[in-house]
Amino acid sequence: MIIDSNSIPRDTSLVADVCVVGSGAAGISLALALSDHGVSVLLLEAGYAHEDRRTQALYDGEVANELLHSPPDKYRLRRFGGSTLIWGGRCVPFDAIDFEAREFVQSSGWPIPYDEVAAFYPAANALAEAGRCEYDADKVFGPGAEPLIKGFASTVVRTNSLERFSCPTNFAVRYGRRLQHAPGLKVVMGANCTSIRLQPNAEQVQGLEIATLSGNRFQVAAKMYVLAVGGIETARLLLASRNVTAAGVGNEHDVVGRYYMCHVAGNVGALTISGAPNRVRHSYEVAPDGVYCRRRLSIAPCEQRRLGLSNMVARLHFARITDPAHRSGVLSGLFLARNIISYEYGKRLQDGAETTFVNRLKHLRNVVMGPSDTSAFLLHWLAKRTFAERKFPSVILRNRTNRFSLEIHGEQIAQASSRVSLTDRADELGMPRVRVDWRYSPDDVDSVRRSLDVMSSEFERLQIGKLTYDSNTLEQELMRFGAYGGHHIGTARMGNDVRTSVVDANCRVHSAKNLYVAGSAVFPTSSQANPTLTIIALSLRLAEHLLLRLGASRSAQSVAATSP
Amino acid sequence: MRTLILGASGYIGQRLFQKLSASEWAKPAGASRGRGNADSNAVHLRVDTRNLKALTLALKEYECVVNCVAGDFDSIANGARTLAQAAMAAKCKRIVHLSSMAVYGRTEGNVSEQAPLDPGLGWYARAKCQAETHMAAFARDGGEVVVLRPGCVFGSGSQLWVGRVARWLRAGRVGDLGAAGDGWSNLVHANDVCDAIAAAMRLPIGRGGMPVFNLAAPDSPRWNEYLVDLAIAIDATPVRRISARQLRFDSMVAGPPLKLAEKFLDKCGVRRPWLPEPLPPSVVRLWSQDIRLIALAATKVLAMRWTSYGDSLRESSDWYRLGAKQ
Repeated sequence: MIIDSNSIPRDTSLVADVCVVGSGAAGISLALALSDHGVSVLLLEAGYAHEDRRTQALYDGEVANELLHSPPDKYRLRRFGGSTLIWGGRCVPFDAIDFEAREFVQSSGWPIPYDEVAAFYPAANALAEAGRCEYDADKVFGPGAEPLIKGFASTVVRTNSLERFSCPTNFAVRYGRRLQHAPGLKVVMGANCTSIRLQPNAEQVQGLEIATLSGNRFQVAAKMYVLAVGGIETARLLLASRNVTAAGVGNEHDVVGRYYMCHVAGNVGALTISGAPNRVRHSYEVAPDGVYCRRRLSIAPCEQRRLGLSNMVARLHFARITDPAHRSGVLSGLFLARNIISYEYGKRLQDGAETTFVNRLKHLRNVVMGPSDTSAFLLHWLAKRTFAERKFPSVILRNRTNRFSLEIHGEQIAQASSRVSLTDRADELGMPRVRVDWRYSPDDVDSVRRSLDVMSSEFERLQIGKLTYDSNTLEQELMRFGAYGGHHIGTARMGNDVRTSVVDANCRVHSAKNLYVAGSAVFPTSSQANPTLTIIALSLRLAEHLLLRLGASRSAQSVAATSP
Repeated sequence: MRTLILGASGYIGQRLFQKLSASEWAKPAGASRGRGNADSNAVHLRVDTRNLKALTLALKEYECVVNCVAGDFDSIANGARTLAQAAMAAKCKRIVHLSSMAVYGRTEGNVSEQAPLDPGLGWYARAKCQAETHMAAFARDGGEVVVLRPGCVFGSGSQLWVGRVARWLRAGRVGDLGAAGDGWSNLVHANDVCDAIAAAMRLPIGRGGMPVFNLAAPDSPRWNEYLVDLAIAIDATPVRRISARQLRFDSMVAGPPLKLAEKFLDKCGVRRPWLPEPLPPSVVRLWSQDIRLIALAATKVLAMRWTSYGDSLRESSDWYRLGAKQ
């Protein structure tokens, strides 16, 4: 059932077994899994199915350095479906090494074994419409399939791990009907949670305060509460809830909002592969289940341990778009169209480089001089992206020269000084706005540097090609666009030590017996992987835990098998 | 138990006949409007189930009748009324009536046997609902009826849910349907349906009782999963993502002329392997209907041991692949 919060009588209290705040990938996955097992669930969504500027404006806030982090209202949507309305769809599971306590990665280590999360990846894959849960190219495409780079046989640098792509699935559209019919599930639209009210002894949550932009106010009383509002908003809500504890909920040790991570990303270096272009499969491939997949380079876990490297992947990428020297009509066309592309996708086309009139003319020349390429690209884009249900994931150019840059996506090391905090300014509903002070460390850049060195050595050793990069400008290249947008991680991190973590191994806030967090806020480390798939997997795992606690009617152990 | 199977030449009727023939407790005979299997020594009666006199005469020798009749509205609805009257007149005390999940119409969510019937979803649902009404009348008059409401029956030999679906997959007209394929498939193996019928024949029920059972394998997946699994199993890969728009066009715009052409060519006796099979709007609607048959009663009372989805899929795809090779 889906209802409007304005239809709820003022100052009344909605009651349920579980109240989930936020209807993004985490909230919807969790709510569906719970309701499927006979639990009554309230799913609160601050926005509606349609865009609403006033609601979105509730996300406004500050950033410490705009060059390093996007404004807080970007890359997240306060709307039914959450950020699945704008995500790119890249699905990648974490690696087992991400869960290990690694001496060389500060504050690393999860309090749960990798397998506990991995058990939920198949169901998460299905919910994200990313096909089968198989990420080994040899198994997906068969041992006879062409490799990423012919002849590149290395045990140090892996080339057979895949990333899969969701449609990308808008969870509100895709699962709206299920939510409508799910037994015991009520979705409340336009319901902004403004405060978590603790019991006077601060041991557990008494209720939630809900407000609507049209002035209605009511409460929620549930047995369990789950915050599934994203990495930034989770910190905001915990910190802003001060009815009993002045520092906010779960913040007895000043950890909430700290250890904030994104990913370290950028296009770096020049890779030239020897031989003919057909030696390289740099583009997307379609798996038998119809899902777009792409191979990438990564350092084998044993080498990461041996060399003390953070996790990282590198994709074969094209040249820097802003520089017209690439002579590509397609890239120049994209550059010229950057102002009509959404902020989230256009950002990396606006790298701060000076765009002079001459520069624009050169881009225009590229477009005019390559009409066949540009037309073919446009036709392909229209057919495979614009009008396709399963969308071609991104711009990929035909490889004619075997020359690439590397698109890096690397783990960021958690540090307490990188944080989300509250400002003195309040939003329309009276909630304090956030301030994001994202910080990276020299170790993040150094790890990428040393990983590139490993890759470079392997290319040289195997005489497959040559990888070069400018060590002096590496940091600048990686930070050209600042933190990788949309990956908001670690603000309510999971751990066994209450002094350095906010939630326990079951995602329960240490100091509140019935309050949980779902989403990337609980990740203690950021991995090389995009967070969505693991957000869903952890949400399903949390559903299983809640079902056990509630003694639900059907076997809680079956969440992994029955979802979706 | 002397049992007459009506609709014995159909997909389930044939299987049931074989199953009962192999048993020690049942003595089945088949009945249909056709000739039955000419090579078989089995008893086969040619009976029009809408002919009260003929049916009454046929039923005189039987203790139980299983109604597997398919066909048009008249055959299903009026046939059931005639069957109820004939069974009463012939003192054939038990009817096992094969109904359908179609009786639940547009209902969505978890559906048990107590859910209200909804005949508002086309002629088939109307016919099945009416047929159940006639069965209820038979029970009220002192007869014994067991009503079975299967979901989508599949397994080797199923043209409806394996053969034609596989051909649609091969043609790229069906695949991963997204939200349009998010309904529960409620698939049930044909052997399980036969097992349920056999159990229903011997189920102790009081005079005038009419127990009803949903039949759907508990592990039957949503349609998308089945479609993708079947596509991969028959090498109809890579599986295409089909938009709701394309699906609507295929069924609503291309469907009617294809159906007309099919009927016309059939009347002319022209073989038409080249003609695309129409995609019925009713099937497209079913794929998105979020209805899940709860078959707990069948599991408990009829002691069903459901064929696993994996085994059913394997058998179905093997059958299709073998047929495609031949």
